[in-house]
Amino acid sequence: MMKKSVKKVMLPVMAAAMAVSFGTLVSAEDETISLTVWGAEEDQTLLKELTDNFQAAYPDQTFDIQIGVESESTAKDTVLTDVEAAADVYAFADDQITDLIKAGALLKLDDYAEVLQMAGKTLDDVKDANVEGSIDAATIDGGLYAFPRAADNGYFLYYDASVLSEEDVASWSSLLEAADAAGKKVGMTLASGWYNASFFYGAGFTTALNDDGTTAIDWNGTSADGYTGVDVVKGMLAISGSPAFMAIADGDISNQLASGNLVACVSGTWDAMTAQEVFGDGYAATKLPTFTVGDQEVQQGSVAGYKYIGVNGYSENSGWAVLLADYLSNEEAQQKFFDERESGPSNKNVGASDAIKENIALSALAQQSEYAQAQKVGGKYWDPSQTFGELIAQGTLAADDDAAIQEALDNLVEGVTASVE
Amino acid sequence: MAAQEKNSAASAVGSLGKAIGSFFRDFGTAVVKGDAFVKLSLLWMGAGYAKRKQYVKAVLMTILEIAIIAFTVKFAMQYVPKIGSLGTVKMEKVFNMKTMKSEFNNYDNSFTILLFSLFSFVVWLAAAVVWFKNIINAYVLQKMEEEGQHINTFREDLKSLVEEKFHITLLTLPVLGVVIFTLIPILLLIFVAFTNYDQQHMPPTELFSWVGLNNFISLFGGGGLTTTFGYAFVRVLGWTLVWAFFATFTTYIGGILLSLLLNSKKTRWPKMWRTLFIVTIAVPQFVSLLLVRNFFSNGGIVNTICNTIGLTGFLRSIGLVSTSYIPFLSAPGWAHVMIILINIWIGVPYQMLIATGVLMNLPSDQLESARVDGATKFQIFRKITMPYLLFVTGPALITDFVKNINNFNVIYLLTQDVYTTTNQAMANSQAKEVDLLVTWLFRLTQDYYNYKMASAIGIIVFIICAVFTLVAFNRMIKGDKEGTYQ
Repeated sequence: MMKKSVKKVMLPVMAAAMAVSFGTLVSAEDETISLTVWGAEEDQTLLKELTDNFQAAYPDQTFDIQIGVESESTAKDTVLTDVEAAADVYAFADDQITDLIKAGALLKLDDYAEVLQMAGKTLDDVKDANVEGSIDAATIDGGLYAFPRAADNGYFLYYDASVLSEEDVASWSSLLEAADAAGKKVGMTLASGWYNASFFYGAGFTTALNDDGTTAIDWNGTSADGYTGVDVVKGMLAISGSPAFMAIADGDISNQLASGNLVACVSGTWDAMTAQEVFGDGYAATKLPTFTVGDQEVQQGSVAGYKYIGVNGYSENSGWAVLLADYLSNEEAQQKFFDERESGPSNKNVGASDAIKENIALSALAQQSEYAQAQKVGGKYWDPSQTFGELIAQGTLAADDDAAIQEALDNLVEGVTASVE
Repeated sequence: MAAQEKNSAASAVGSLGKAIGSFFRDFGTAVVKGDAFVKLSLLWMGAGYAKRKQYVKAVLMTILEIAIIAFTVKFAMQYVPKIGSLGTVKMEKVFNMKTMKSEFNNYDNSFTILLFSLFSFVVWLAAAVVWFKNIINAYVLQKMEEEGQHINTFREDLKSLVEEKFHITLLTLPVLGVVIFTLIPILLLIFVAFTNYDQQHMPPTELFSWVGLNNFISLFGGGGLTTTFGYAFVRVLGWTLVWAFFATFTTYIGGILLSLLLNSKKTRWPKMWRTLFIVTIAVPQFVSLLLVRNFFSNGGIVNTICNTIGLTGFLRSIGLVSTSYIPFLSAPGWAHVMIILINIWIGVPYQMLIATGVLMNLPSDQLESARVDGATKFQIFRKITMPYLLFVTGPALITDFVKNINNFNVIYLLTQDVYTTTNQAMANSQAKEVDLLVTWLFRLTQDYYNYKMASAIGIIVFIICAVFTLVAFNRMIKGDKEGTYQ
């Protein structure tokens, strides 16, 4: 039985490498620690700089740190293809965390509290330094599984302040009315469980992850705030039925923004540049509007998205890997990520700086973060919730047919809660 | 016709059985009638050659025997004994603060066990064939010696490999390639369909195990999975067959009509037209498909145009469309028709090329005599051109059909990120109305790590394709049809 099949192949190569190193490095006592880091393509230069600093911080130890390109949004797919051969330290987005933990691709940081002391901190220091939601989303069964690196993966409302006033964007009804008057549209993605959950979260509904990997969801009942799922759907239908509303396919927002039809849209920091170009001097952003549930105005919630640096559960040099992951996500690193890549920090100190408050998109995200929450769902959540959103987007459900809405919600819950196979 | 098929199948099986039978009969004779050295070859594979002074061969066979024994002891025995349980030791690790390293236990990896056991079985099977054949050869040599015939030296043996036995030399590499890159993966896929390899049982962290026919039972609606899996399977299978039929025949007929048009003497500048159509082939398919997908998306340019000229409004008023756009690629029905239409545009140039080639080789004597007899153009087309085309391109038509059953590109590229099903029962099984079995299978593995169901679906696809190909080929190629056209 071998631990890593790759090793068999690597043996001759390693033997040759060792023969060479014996000749040159006889004096070196400690072995070289090899670590692989995967990060987004646009972060490569910064990662190189940070890993160099990391090596300088531990001069007694020799490192061989390789940096590879792997987008945060697709890290899971590549890592799970061969966990044993994947990078020791890698960056990923929060929606992948449950699958990664299940596959053993993330190690539990609580077991490494002793290691963190070498960096002069405790695990609680890490937890205190970052915003609560970012820690919450990476905590499963009481254990922390990754270091928060960014908190900019959420959505809020972009709008053209030359057309819409601050009062207009306070609620969906006034927003759509004003947009209609201006002959423009308001865009939002409904056919995605990441976006359409915002209405339900706002009304006090929840999703949660069970121990067996299935998802718990209560949208077909009554929420803690006393609203029924049917009333929330009616509120959504009132929005999607408006002539000024445009349901946009997932990932198509920037195209629609660029086409100039929109006067406001729900999106995240990744569309900041496009929105700025299209809206020009009117470029503005704020929290999401309120919407009508029953006869009350309810603040629309949202999903707070984070990016993390995690350590592979199969990493051999796991101690150093944990130190490196911490180093790539600590306050100084996040400051650098903001300065050079305009990445919204999860670190409270970096987030409190004036530079961030002046950034229109990031400050809107901060406003919305009050109503945002981490989305804990299993893999079975996505397809049924996407279809549910599409039902609303296409107006297949009628706002006056309570029975049909309830049935659709029941179907949704049945699909989402199905056992994982 | 049916009787003929049975005959051919039966005779194929029969001759294979005969070959195997005579192989073992030869082996039996060799063991019984062989001398001490032939019998010794049962243990020491080089014995027979050593006795007949083929020393190089004797050494080679001995090395091969040692290699196989070493392979068995050193490699295969790590995996094959565990094939029954597919592993029992789960991964455990402890962190050693002193070395800063994780220390892992000697854990089992179900997937590696399955893969390497399979590999070992293939190696052993090959070794067994060599072993049997070796005894037979040793006996042949013994008889040759008894009859005083010349026994080849090693040099002469080598020479024969580039002369009378050249086919063996030529075929060795391809056969090895087929075994390693095709046979073993296919066997692996088949075996995975009988395990519970899914997201809950992902090696190396978790182990998976054998579950018998459970996956096939749930595929056909036997429960265990989401209740809608069987529901989705039937619908996806239905659309797969409908799609394969229309995709094949629309492009086929379109290609023939187009090439007839271009071949017609009345067409001016045929070369220019032909070139224009072939340009679509020159553009990589995925580029054109993604472009077309964007043209026809809900907010795409075609929708903008339709909106401006009032077509969308007209369709709304007659109740064909309920949305503010035309759901070209985002509603069932609409998307099905659009996909087939777009496929015609992509596929017709290929068929046109093939048909043009065939039309140039039409037997002109038949055409002439038909013309002399006063046949109309349509009669010539129906009685001569079309039968000839069908005869020549028939086999290609079958492969096209099978290819279309597995036509991943067109479906996936045209509908991914654009098509959202509004059928909740389909969504609950991660399927869409426009999915083919392969695209569904792709998403099950890619997004849901449901390898066991993907393998089960893969086997079903394989069976459909194999049965169709066998039946169709037998019907098309059997018999002396060629004579009819000469």
